[in-house]
Amino acid sequence: MSTKSGRKIVWGHLILLTVIVCVVTAYLLDARGVSLRTNNLLLVQPAAILALVLAALVLPGIFPRADSTEEAEINSETRADLIRVFILIAALAGLAFSLEVVGFDIATFIFMVVGLAVCGEKRWWVNLLFSAIFTVFLIYGYGTITPFPFPLTFL
Amino acid sequence: MKTQLSRRNILKIAGGGAAIAALGMPSILRAQGAYPDRPINIVVPFDTGGYNDRLARAFAPFLQEKLGQPLTIVNRGGAGALLGHTFFLQQPDDGYTILCTSAAPYLPLNILTQDASFKLEDFYMVNLPSQDYTLMATNAGSDVKSVDDAIARLKADPGSLSVGLQPASADLVNFNILCAANQIDANAVRVVTYDGGGPARNAVAGGVVDVGFVGGEGFLPLKEQVRPLMTFDTRKRDNWDGAIVTDVLGSDADFVVGSQRGWGLHGSMQTSNPEIFKTLVNAIAAASQNPAAIEALKNQQLATDWYGPEESNKMLARTAKVMEQYIDLLKGN
Amino acid sequence: MIELNSVFGAFALLSSDINAWLYLLPGLAIGLIFGAMPGISITMAMAFALPATLYMEFLPAIVFLTAIYTGAGFGGSVPAVLMGIPGTSSAVATTFDGYPMARKGLHNEALGIALASSVVGCLASYVILFILIVPISGVVLKLGPLEMFAVAVWGMLLLGSLAGTHMSRGLLAGTFGVLLGTVGMNTAGFVRGTIGIPWLLDGVPQIPAMMGLLAASQLIGLINTTYLIDDEGSRKISFAKILGGVRQTFSHPTIIFRGSLIGVIIGAIPGVGSSISNLLSYSETKRNAADGDTFGQGNPKGVIAAEAANSSSEGGAMATMLALGIPGGGATAILLAAFAMHNIVGGPSFIAHNKDIVYAVIFSNFAQAILLFVVGLGFVYVAGYVVRVPLRFLIPSVLVVSTYGAYAIEGSSAGPITLWVFSVLGWAMVRYGYPVAAAVVGLLLGSLLEGNLLRTNQISGGDFIGYGLDRPWALVIFALMLGSILLQLISKRRRAKEEALSAVQSS
Repeated sequence: MSTKSGRKIVWGHLILLTVIVCVVTAYLLDARGVSLRTNNLLLVQPAAILALVLAALVLPGIFPRADSTEEAEINSETRADLIRVFILIAALAGLAFSLEVVGFDIATFIFMVVGLAVCGEKRWWVNLLFSAIFTVFLIYGYGTITPFPFPLTFL
Repeated sequence: MKTQLSRRNILKIAGGGAAIAALGMPSILRAQGAYPDRPINIVVPFDTGGYNDRLARAFAPFLQEKLGQPLTIVNRGGAGALLGHTFFLQQPDDGYTILCTSAAPYLPLNILTQDASFKLEDFYMVNLPSQDYTLMATNAGSDVKSVDDAIARLKADPGSLSVGLQPASADLVNFNILCAANQIDANAVRVVTYDGGGPARNAVAGGVVDVGFVGGEGFLPLKEQVRPLMTFDTRKRDNWDGAIVTDVLGSDADFVVGSQRGWGLHGSMQTSNPEIFKTLVNAIAAASQNPAAIEALKNQQLATDWYGPEESNKMLARTAKVMEQYIDLLKGN
Repeated sequence: MIELNSVFGAFALLSSDINAWLYLLPGLAIGLIFGAMPGISITMAMAFALPATLYMEFLPAIVFLTAIYTGAGFGGSVPAVLMGIPGTSSAVATTFDGYPMARKGLHNEALGIALASSVVGCLASYVILFILIVPISGVVLKLGPLEMFAVAVWGMLLLGSLAGTHMSRGLLAGTFGVLLGTVGMNTAGFVRGTIGIPWLLDGVPQIPAMMGLLAASQLIGLINTTYLIDDEGSRKISFAKILGGVRQTFSHPTIIFRGSLIGVIIGAIPGVGSSISNLLSYSETKRNAADGDTFGQGNPKGVIAAEAANSSSEGGAMATMLALGIPGGGATAILLAAFAMHNIVGGPSFIAHNKDIVYAVIFSNFAQAILLFVVGLGFVYVAGYVVRVPLRFLIPSVLVVSTYGAYAIEGSSAGPITLWVFSVLGWAMVRYGYPVAAAVVGLLLGSLLEGNLLRTNQISGGDFIGYGLDRPWALVIFALMLGSILLQLISKRRRAKEEALSAVQSS
């Protein structure tokens, strides 16, 4: 992925920086939309502008020279490793968004099974047993000390 | 593994876990016996440690005694009680979820300023024993000696005194009423906004702000560090010295009462579950008038006065109406 | 300031009911266990125990609750060291060096250091409290927005030293954190950046966001590793090494003393407390240490600084509560409620009329601190076994525990969703060389900075300098801050000179 000048693009970093810049810009516009009074913008406006300036300073890091070793350690990662990371992130999203919908018991158990599998537990019976026991312990343990009940389906 | 071990210990330590375990039973398996046949949740739309939380925890044993089922306190704090109030209404109106909240000012505020999805009538207040009021106060060593003194100074130069209060509060409305009645430009006064009653009171007691407008009950522990200037009520409250609002603004003085806290139910229960509704109202009434409860709550500086549903709902509606007149003020300053 | 009569009265009170001491151990144990659960706050632990104290006598009730307070204060450090999870905001700085120590196989030492610093910090804070309770309480209420702003700025200085190799990335992370920390309704009632989500009115949920940034992001990155500690030989749980950590702590008395002093003073300020004190102490220690560059890579001094400060904040918060009747946070609010149940109302008159009770509380905390050492040793020994669990079990388990903790602290899916968003953000930041710790510090201090800057502007009518000159304490804080930076510059230059000199001599 080299460009004319012998530089490459670190796509992941570009995405991250884009997200940060978009969030900061959207936040600044939203705050200015609410009110232009000092009581609203005193800190937010200068901080947002500072963040945008800093983001501009970071920009060269996204296009390091092709011979630069700066981002080398990331390249040692295989595509399969990265896919496992994304599966785990997706599973965590599933857990976070479904807890209250399908119940803590089901959501936790499914996440544990997927999580153990993707983290490298190959024996299916160990996976299912550990997931089940851990789910039950967690629900009763945290349920006891939390000042409100967890939504459950089976337990 | 450490986390599992500790959980086992907790199960042993906490005998109270049984009640929660019962809650975890699937609803289909629960027998439909006489109400109540399973634990009841009390929703507190604030975090642990606040007034409503303490009120709910202190009152629960006495209400539990009347209902014959354990009560579980569910704290659902956040967004000025909006989250807790919404959560409460989302629960079925079957009498297994009741509410302990600062009905005023939070219900009207949720509705007027936060586009809440509910109406005031969705809630039915059984009793609002705690009736707070705005206290205008200054530091005990301050050279502001009286409410007249403060008014005179602000009239001469609105920027001469700094005023501590919470945004979007009854106190802010009362401050503006006082300014308007005395031809003081409220916008020119150095108003300092605090995130809660506690910090605002501390600022008054420490002399960080010259004058404060904050809920009066919370000032009681700081009694010796503050000088009361005026109570926003038609009568003297908690033995505070200083003026009462009707002395200063006349007998027809317009003002907003402070927090009105207590017990609420789903408004819809009156028609959907009238029998259970009656059972709950009677239980709260009986527990509120139980001498042991009155004694226990009084010791914790919590209110138990019995006003009853009719009076409580009327008081809340009245507050909501006054707040509606000042909606622009409440929406932002 | 110490009245001997009251001291004897306190001893009489404490020995009047020997049974009261029976509550010490269960209190500490409950506190430790609750505290070690991510997301379960000290307040929740104490609220859980409050009903049980209703039927106790006054002394046992207070001993029980304060023991939970002490236990939970240390409990939070255990997951911070072993898994990098700050279960509470007061354990954030503990993760900076504690977790790297654990990863290097120094988990025994790290836990020993954390325990010893906590115990000593707690003891020291009560000694300071014992002597200074009246003067401290006199100052606390006089602190205005400018003083608090100065404290927040002091905390922000930490950003500079957290930045690491890429200064601009570090500062961007910190600024981004500050901005995220100001989302929601600000102190003047303006609502920004909530994108229509009601729970964002109160801002980004701090603890789930911190757990996501600091812990979950690390765990996701560890997916291709088999154990927390690479070297099998280092995975041992060794009592001797834990005690070695304890000994190591005592060789840094200055750090402990500075941490305790910062902890007591910051802890006494209502609403700020232990979440800031550990950052300030860490920052000051790093700046003053000869090996400041190795902080963040597992330097034991970082753990000592953080733990001494967060445990001594308890003493500070108790000072404000006892002397002024003001709860600095949820935990002291519950203690006040327990006092009230027994017809005792905190406040200036309380401290004047009931010095014996005040001293009794202080003395019982001495006992708690010492007992915490014993109970804590056993606790960290057992907890240490976490490093022997293969990561394929540990990663999903800890992610679920963090999710539950996030749910417990927020009471809704808002917690887990925040945790997820910030763990993805944190993972990406770590990957591209942004220090997540800087974002966490920004997030923690954002609303404190904004609120107090705003109030300073309001109270001064825009005339910051004129107002500042009337606030001696603010000037003192700013002077101390500048002095600390200057000292660092001088000692750095001297060290560089010495190094250059020795380089010349050796060549």
